[in-house]
Amino acid sequence: MSPDAAPILEVSGVVKRFGGFHALDGLSFHVSPGEILGLVGPNGSGKTTAINVISGLYAPDAGSVSFAQTQVGGMASHKLVHLGINRTFQVPKPFMSLTVKQNVEVARTYGGATDKSPPMADLLEEYRLADVANRPASDLTNAQQKMLDLVRALATQPKLLLLDELAAGLNPTELDWIAGRIKALAQGGLAIIVVEHLMGFIEQITDRVIVMNAGKEIFEGTLAVAVKVPQVIEVFLGGEHAA
Amino acid sequence: MPDTVRHYLFIAVPLLVVLAVAPSVYNNHLLLFNFVIFFILAQGVNIIYGFTGYLPFGYVGFFGAGAYGFAIMVMHLNAPAPLAVLVGGAVAVVLGLILTPLLRLSGAYFSIANLAAALAVLHLIANPALEQITKGPYGVALNGTFNPTMAYAGGILILALTLGIVVYLKNSSFGLALQAVREDSFSASMSGVSVVRMRTIAWRASALVAGLAGGVFAWYVSVFYPDNVFSADFSIFAIVFALFGGVATISGPLIGVIILYGIYNLIGFTTPQYFQLIYGLLIMALVLFLPAGLVSLATRRGWNVP
Amino acid sequence: MLYPLIAGVLFGLYFSLVGIGLNLVFGVMRIVNLAHGDFLMLGAFVAFGIYTVAGLDPLVGIPIAFALFCIAGLLLYWVLVPRLQRARDPEMLSFILFFGFSQVIEALTTIVFGTSERSIPSRELANSLAGVRAAIFGGEPTNGPFRLLGLSFPASWVVAATVSVIAIGCVYLYLYRTRLGTLTRAVMSRRDEAIATGINVDRVSAAAFGIGLGLAAVAGVFAPFMFGSFTPAFGIDATVTSFVVVVLGSLGNPLGTALGGIVYGVSYMIVQTYLSSWADLLPYVLLIAILLLRPSGLLGRRVRVA
Repeated sequence: MSPDAAPILEVSGVVKRFGGFHALDGLSFHVSPGEILGLVGPNGSGKTTAINVISGLYAPDAGSVSFAQTQVGGMASHKLVHLGINRTFQVPKPFMSLTVKQNVEVARTYGGATDKSPPMADLLEEYRLADVANRPASDLTNAQQKMLDLVRALATQPKLLLLDELAAGLNPTELDWIAGRIKALAQGGLAIIVVEHLMGFIEQITDRVIVMNAGKEIFEGTLAVAVKVPQVIEVFLGGEHAA
Repeated sequence: MPDTVRHYLFIAVPLLVVLAVAPSVYNNHLLLFNFVIFFILAQGVNIIYGFTGYLPFGYVGFFGAGAYGFAIMVMHLNAPAPLAVLVGGAVAVVLGLILTPLLRLSGAYFSIANLAAALAVLHLIANPALEQITKGPYGVALNGTFNPTMAYAGGILILALTLGIVVYLKNSSFGLALQAVREDSFSASMSGVSVVRMRTIAWRASALVAGLAGGVFAWYVSVFYPDNVFSADFSIFAIVFALFGGVATISGPLIGVIILYGIYNLIGFTTPQYFQLIYGLLIMALVLFLPAGLVSLATRRGWNVP
Repeated sequence: MLYPLIAGVLFGLYFSLVGIGLNLVFGVMRIVNLAHGDFLMLGAFVAFGIYTVAGLDPLVGIPIAFALFCIAGLLLYWVLVPRLQRARDPEMLSFILFFGFSQVIEALTTIVFGTSERSIPSRELANSLAGVRAAIFGGEPTNGPFRLLGLSFPASWVVAATVSVIAIGCVYLYLYRTRLGTLTRAVMSRRDEAIATGINVDRVSAAAFGIGLGLAAVAGVFAPFMFGSFTPAFGIDATVTSFVVVVLGSLGNPLGTALGGIVYGVSYMIVQTYLSSWADLLPYVLLIAILLLRPSGLLGRRVRVA
């Protein structure tokens, strides 16, 4: 399943400052359709900021983000959704007082679902939400809210999916299951960027990783190679991969 | 039968019919008219607060602007009353347009800024320097258009429109998207919803109904001062009524008006401070014990309240 | 030009005192105390009571008002706030809750004292200090106007400004020279991290709430002199004015309030002198402008937009 298509997303030299702090300091990478790219790095290295810039929460201060040959840096989020970018959130953000069905319905109505979109019932079934379809999102467990976030994103038929710590907090069986789902999505042609702390999970699903530190990439390649690079080991202080 | 039709037929129509026949069996027409006005204003607050989460502490600004829009059309252009009411609505929408940047503010900041905006409009209109146009603090007297019967009918029409808007919001994907924006604006934009556009539309709809209500109020009373039509009581009552019943529903604000404005008229007129005490305590109890309003007593049990 | 400048600074220092309690409460708890102005109003009643019932200098009211409302604040905090902080949107709910509370205070005060306007003759303030004043500035013991740079200002303005400077100085000492104050600043800058590091946030917040109400009441002692008269309904105006001052200086930064107060006082006096019929509009327009153009305030760093 190694990707051979041209990149759908190209991030080059992106800078994002908060006051004097450079959260992103010239970040560059790309991802292609059908590819699963892992973004790894210590806390504060800019992974989530990168996701936030790509999904339109922040406009980049410098550099460019191009998606399917269109410059999208600083574009409003709902327009990015219509172009085919979507994401999940580290802390799931469903519409708490609306039911699960209503949550997905908003995304289907406004996210540009077509006749070819998977029916809502199938999506809910597939991500184990069918039983709670008529319950308010606030009743769901954290794991279920994460799945709802994902279903909401998928309902807009994205071409690029950004998963921000989707796996954190899932048990081993759920992890295996969701890894399978993510791989299947990529095989369907979706480009996927995964931000994750669980290195085992990253190893299991990604084709390639970008190791980030202090707002830029310090390594690009497979995780197996990454863990042998001194610079990468230094950044992680031998900590997280062992766990 | 689609829910939209069902809700309008079983909630809005009976209320409108009762209000339409009430004057022939009940003598206190002013009281009935005030009920109509508060039904409209409470639902107007529902549109903006219930569906988008912006609490309009200066909601009366639109009402007063509508009343003065009406007065100026009648005084200076001799416009017929129905046209002047429509202009009152338009003036409120224009005020809403001017105040659109306030929607950039969140939570309490919006509410305070909105309150300040209403007070600014009041002081502008009541300024003696503008006496030529607004009659300043001395108030207006519009004898030429005085016709309480027609004004009451106009009020019922505006209520019908307002209920139509709320029923639509409750049952449409547009209303659902607004609620999504209220719950989490970034998540809503990741569902493809244009957050700014949604809020702006709700804001203007809410301004429109308050402006029309202000226009029809000016028509009904025909003599008033700036302090009457910009009285903070209108904002406060409308908000409390809507919250008490339960926002983001069709019936909640209506129940709130019927119960609380009913109580107000039983005890309020002679000793308003006792009513103020009671509704102050009610608000506090509501926030502490029943933040989603009376209807939440039913929704908690899993009943669906339209 | 000199007169409005000096008068503006005197008033501005007083306005800083008016706003600082509101800002302290907001900074620590993210709670919008809409009843802030009502505590000012109650402070004014304390001064009035001291003067009319006990026949003492209203200045005596300062320690009494501070102590009384500090304790009231502590009690209120434990009754109301913990329940609020558990809710989903404490900031918005607190806004509504304290609005209800302000209605209760206003109603109770009206029931007890009636709606009439009250005032205290300006010469009564600090009368007991006339001898001290004579000792410092020379001349006969008097409580007449102060002369500054050839212009004369009411003694009450100078006294209010002086007390305000002292009170703000005390707040500074509290925040920067005491342990509880240091913890207070920690909670203000990063509430979640302060909780994580084991700071007893409830104790810090209760103290801030008590001190905030106490300072409001102290400001209220001077209200009869600075505003000429007061009624139970005076609270809401005082709240809006406090908001202007606080937002000007930046929300969540109590010492910024001093700057906000002076900017507000000077601009108010200048408009009053040169464009008096528009002076009433100033606070509202200023508030909206500052929220939209520089929501973080003149000194602020936090931007609060939706």
